[in-house]
Amino acid sequence: RGSGAFMQAITIKGTVKGSDGAPIPGVTIQVKGTSTGTVTQPDGTYSINVPDANATLQFSYIGYTQQEIALAGRTTVDVVMTSSASELEQVVVVGYGTRRKRDVTGAVGSVRGEEIAKQPVNTATQGVQGKLAGVQIISSGQPGSQPQVRVRGTGSMLAGAEPLYVVDGILTNDIRNINTADIVSMDVLKDASSAAIYGVRGANGVIIITTKRGQAGKMEVSYNMTAGWRQAANLVEMANTQQYTAFLADAGPQVTIPDFGADTDWYGDVLRKGFQQTHNISLSGGSEKFLYYFNVGYLTDQGIVRNNQYDRFTIRSNNEWNIVEDKLKFVTQLSYMHNETDFVQLDDIYTNTYRAAPVIPIKRDGRYGNTSAFQNVGNPILTLDKTNDEIYENRLQGTTYLEYSPWKWLRLRSSIGVNQGFQNRRKYNDKYLNDEVTFLVAGGNQQRPESQLTIVKEQGTEWLWENTATYQQRFDKHDLTVLAGYTAQKYAGDYIEGSRRNVPNSTDLWYLIAGDPNTSTNTSDGDKYARTSILARVNYSYDDKYLLSASFRNDASSRFPSDNRNGYFPAVGLGWVISQEDFMQNQKLFNFLKLRGSWGRIGNDNIASNLYILTANSGLLYFFNGTATLGTNLSDIKDRNLKWETTQEYDFGLEFSMMDSRLTGEVNYYNKETIDALVTVRIPGLLGDPDNEYTTNAGSFVNKGWEFTLGWKDKISDDFNYTIGGNLTLNDNKVTGLNQGQPLFRGGVGQQGNITKTDNGQPIGSFFVLDAEGVFQNQAEIDNYLNKDGGKIQPNAAPGDLRYRDANGDGLINSDDRVYAGSYQPKLYYGINLGANYKSFDFSVDFYGNAGNKIYNGKKAFRYEITDNIEASYADKRWTSARPSTTDPRVLLGSTPASDYFIESGNFFRMNNITLGYSLPKAVLERIKFERLRIYLTSQNLFTIKKFTGFSPELVSGATKRDGFLSLQNSTSPLDAGIELYPYPTTKTFAIGLNVTF
Amino acid sequence: GDGFLDIPPQGRVTEEEIRTNPNAAVDLTNGVYNVMWLGGFGPDVHGLQFITLTSIVSDDADKGSTPQDYSPALEIDNFTYGPTNAIVGNLWTGYYQAIARANQALDKLPLSPIDEADKNRLIGEVRFLRGYFYFNLVRTYGGVPKIDRVPTPEEANSDAFQTRATAADIYALIIEDLQFAVDNLPLKGATPVGRITKGAAQMLLGKVYMYQKNWQKTFELSQAVITSGLYDTLSNYADIWRTRGANSIESIFEVQTGTNAACNAAIELYANSQGIRARRGWSDFGFGFNNPTADLVAAYEPGDKRREATIITIQPNGTVLWDGFRVPSRDSVENDRYNYKAYHSRTQEPYCNSPDRTPKNLRVLRYGELLLQYAEAANELGNTGEALAKLNIVRKRAGLPNAVSGGQADLRLKIWRERRVELAMEHDRFWDLVRTGRAGVVMRAHGKNFVDNKNELFPIPQDQRLLSNNRLTQNPGYN
Repeated sequence: RGSGAFMQAITIKGTVKGSDGAPIPGVTIQVKGTSTGTVTQPDGTYSINVPDANATLQFSYIGYTQQEIALAGRTTVDVVMTSSASELEQVVVVGYGTRRKRDVTGAVGSVRGEEIAKQPVNTATQGVQGKLAGVQIISSGQPGSQPQVRVRGTGSMLAGAEPLYVVDGILTNDIRNINTADIVSMDVLKDASSAAIYGVRGANGVIIITTKRGQAGKMEVSYNMTAGWRQAANLVEMANTQQYTAFLADAGPQVTIPDFGADTDWYGDVLRKGFQQTHNISLSGGSEKFLYYFNVGYLTDQGIVRNNQYDRFTIRSNNEWNIVEDKLKFVTQLSYMHNETDFVQLDDIYTNTYRAAPVIPIKRDGRYGNTSAFQNVGNPILTLDKTNDEIYENRLQGTTYLEYSPWKWLRLRSSIGVNQGFQNRRKYNDKYLNDEVTFLVAGGNQQRPESQLTIVKEQGTEWLWENTATYQQRFDKHDLTVLAGYTAQKYAGDYIEGSRRNVPNSTDLWYLIAGDPNTSTNTSDGDKYARTSILARVNYSYDDKYLLSASFRNDASSRFPSDNRNGYFPAVGLGWVISQEDFMQNQKLFNFLKLRGSWGRIGNDNIASNLYILTANSGLLYFFNGTATLGTNLSDIKDRNLKWETTQEYDFGLEFSMMDSRLTGEVNYYNKETIDALVTVRIPGLLGDPDNEYTTNAGSFVNKGWEFTLGWKDKISDDFNYTIGGNLTLNDNKVTGLNQGQPLFRGGVGQQGNITKTDNGQPIGSFFVLDAEGVFQNQAEIDNYLNKDGGKIQPNAAPGDLRYRDANGDGLINSDDRVYAGSYQPKLYYGINLGANYKSFDFSVDFYGNAGNKIYNGKKAFRYEITDNIEASYADKRWTSARPSTTDPRVLLGSTPASDYFIESGNFFRMNNITLGYSLPKAVLERIKFERLRIYLTSQNLFTIKKFTGFSPELVSGATKRDGFLSLQNSTSPLDAGIELYPYPTTKTFAIGLNVTF
Repeated sequence: GDGFLDIPPQGRVTEEEIRTNPNAAVDLTNGVYNVMWLGGFGPDVHGLQFITLTSIVSDDADKGSTPQDYSPALEIDNFTYGPTNAIVGNLWTGYYQAIARANQALDKLPLSPIDEADKNRLIGEVRFLRGYFYFNLVRTYGGVPKIDRVPTPEEANSDAFQTRATAADIYALIIEDLQFAVDNLPLKGATPVGRITKGAAQMLLGKVYMYQKNWQKTFELSQAVITSGLYDTLSNYADIWRTRGANSIESIFEVQTGTNAACNAAIELYANSQGIRARRGWSDFGFGFNNPTADLVAAYEPGDKRREATIITIQPNGTVLWDGFRVPSRDSVENDRYNYKAYHSRTQEPYCNSPDRTPKNLRVLRYGELLLQYAEAANELGNTGEALAKLNIVRKRAGLPNAVSGGQADLRLKIWRERRVELAMEHDRFWDLVRTGRAGVVMRAHGKNFVDNKNELFPIPQDQRLLSNNRLTQNPGYN
């Protein structure tokens, strides 16, 4: 061969595949120590020229282990890339850049897109449940809803306890528009030092979503689909006519029960199996000058309640132009979503279904059973039949940026992101009277004498301008990256709403003009806010052994008065890769071992705009000379010194990889303190504030805990490999200060009033109720339950009533006897993930569970009326003279006080997902000219083991609000968490799926 | 820069803008009137909770509705309530909200560029309303914190605002407010209907003095209203509470309501909460609370026209109401009797299909009551002739023979009895019993567990005491 100046390049060829045998396109291959590189083609093949037969090739791809392979003279190198969520070597997104996970000094978790896409879930967040330590996800069964996420415990007392989502650089708190098929990876920045680069909004963790990009090579076309059905996973069996009648004979002997000969199962008619399917077609490919990824997705999900339906259509187009190779690049990442919802007000429907008496028929001969005439509950089927509520939503979200590298070590980027939404709602309530045309018997209050049409149009636009400069240089053993940037963002949104009555019942007439102009109402409102930030970060490593990262961000938010507007958020992290040390070179146990520690401070401004500015309420009507006149008032109390809520966190971690990288693991300890927590506190009534509360910085609390992650993977033969992974999080949440304020009482359950108390030394939103010790079996027990003065402690009790503990010993039972009885904050939660591949079959199963938390069975406790239905299990167990019970009282009334009788264990263990797939063997694929064809069966939430007798131990606090565009929030705060008041059944899904690549 | 981040609230007028708006003072004054519609199940000024603490509590009315419905009201009816009763809490917060609106208006009114007479008229209206709000508060709770201006954020938590003033201090504030109103308000006819008049201020101040047993003042102020010649009794008693009797010659102070497109221009849950409640078979008129008692029925003399005008009695085979509506039968409704004064006809009176906000004006002060307060003061001052003359105007309208005096004590009892039936279901009975020192005897005779020196006042709401760090002391008997 050649020599001297004529050194000739050697061409190396090969194929890169995943552990499932599928080729992986887009893997970066680099000759170590040089700038020479290439990427794999869509069929996984590559070809690269190397200067030296003994060169080393580096194979890297997001989500996979980087591999270094010495050629040692070979010219064909086939590589199997291994991947795992618990892998240490993978590249993670850390905000304004990426790092190898091994170089990260904070706590970062990562889930690959394919893990999410394989699950039949509507939002990506749901697919992460159980996959990451320190990330608790609570999802309701409502189609189109966004699950609730708590990163390392409840980090805020207001509804803004959700993490920040960053989608391709766009900061948002609603990712329901993101098609799971488009996702490459979801990276969660858990600790303050990692999240501090997002300063203003990182206090509750940051979830970064990266979407797919094209890879150079021939066009790849793939089609993925799933089809299946959803159904309620667990229903609460309600009392039948016989049980209900027996209960009412005790609870309300004065009630006359109408005899229709009915024994109605209301859930049977309200619920159904909901069909759902998804289809995705994507095209990707490109050249060195231009790369593209394009996807069209369609999802339809019926939901399990009659009349409910959710259809979503998404388009994503991610393009990259290399204008001047290695110098100037232009990138666009755009997505468009359109959805249509046949909306059902599930709170009302579920509540009424739960309450409705079995003695009333649903419908006979076209006339409805009149639940409201008998028991003051609307017939839910009639409500569903007489309501048409359609919501259309369009959303455009994306970033475009220009990146310029004058020198290899400097990258300048200017990016414009936009997040724009438009929503149109048309709600038609048909008219009907409570007469015998509509109902079997007339009467009651369920009627609408005049039809009503309401139209709401809502829009919001948010833009984000980010300018960053990244300096990256390696000198000898010193590796230095410096980032600096400036960002600005602004949101403006508004809605307009109008309504008229007496609109005819015809879709073509559902415009306000068709209604009675004398009944016209309209309103509109708006919101604006802005933020600016300066950010900087230094990452330094010495010899891949000693790691340092430090960041600083200065945020200013319009949501605080100008004196308190600036927040300063520093962070620092240190890491020591012990396995790189010389003294570790002779051991075989650890392939990798890293110790790290970090500290950071971050902020939270996730509150409504202008809470510090006193505003007037105008349009207050009154009549003078019979003429309507408008007045104003100024009675709102505002905190004019509102300031940042800040969170400060210490984080220590140990990461390791052992036994030829078959065993990997991570242990973290964190201590996170939130001070000046923004919270809505009650204020004395004599100040005259209309709702007697205002938002202020009124508390501090701590979340501390441990996270354990362990993963094992092994390859038994070429035909068989498997993985076992697990994670466990222990969290302890405790309120440490209330700024000399009063404890916060929340969680209203009917006449029982507030049942949670947030006070020093207790978890946020702790249940605070009477201690029910048992059931009085006879009058003698009541007569013998005496205080120290010999008086009866419960003089008004009857046999079969609950006996309460006189906790304060004053000889009376009243609200002063309430005691703490646990909270919804879990003490621990965990996930278990198993996977295996055998020949052409792949199998995976994921479990998720939590323990140590409590749930208040609020729907059982909240007796609106004596005639409300009861749970069958209670009907069977309640005390009667013939069948004495020591646990369940004879009757439950609206006036039954809050006690731990209603508190149940929140522990559960669930099979989150189980999937069995089969891929056609390569020989067959070649014959039919397919790259890949896989068919699979999957089920989400196949079973849940739980003690809770209600519908679901997963309680999103309150329903997801539909108003407040682009600022989606769950309507109640963590102070109310864990009360099952609106019984939302969670669902299980069965689906068949297909992946095809041409 | 800061300009980018200085974003004013959208769609809300700020306090700064209010200061510079010449109409602001008038707007803020009108906003005080609006607070009189506050009702529902939160803070309450004139809704169901006001009804509960003024009427259901008394021997005139029972809670009504179904036995289980709304247990806080049942506690009030049965005198088993305590400091955590929701109604006791909501009336407190409702009235302080009303007072805060008044103080906000009084804070800005002096800054207004309008002429002095107009300004004093507006201040007079607001001070009348503040006096009225405090009068209801002091009668409900006794001495309460005296908030007579807008506290600065710094002083809001000070002892001065967080502790109770004495009842005497509150009465002094009320008298001062009402005297200003008497001195500065125009007579009826010289100001738009619905605005507070000099006559209203004179009558309310006279009533306040009656609570102080300052009979001379009560007499003089009531006499001034009579001699103004602007008021008289309405010939048909039953019409007083109907739309046709709204703002009539009898009316002195009345909460205005009306109909609008949104159909929300009335006191929330006033008429509807007292409406006839169906058990089955027909579309009812409300929740069925505040039922007149058999005791009240028995209080009327034979031939008293006012009984039929005050009480809807449900007959076994149905009852036809004044507007022709027929309640089908006794077994189709929950209760035996309902409050006729709260009945609002959906066919013969303005109604826009929002039952929770039925446009029923609340008659707070009227000439019939004025005559009786004049008569009571006259009798106490020994002027039996004047007392009897005015008492008999009231009796004559009711279709009853003239009363005769058997001496001052006898006439006093006759006037009190007349007050009960003339003003039945008009929210004054319980306060009257307490004022005249008869509450314990009467309520116990009525079968209620009324405890003397306790139940004359309602407890200070428990959560408000907690919020004050227990600086608000509790009323006797409630600890």
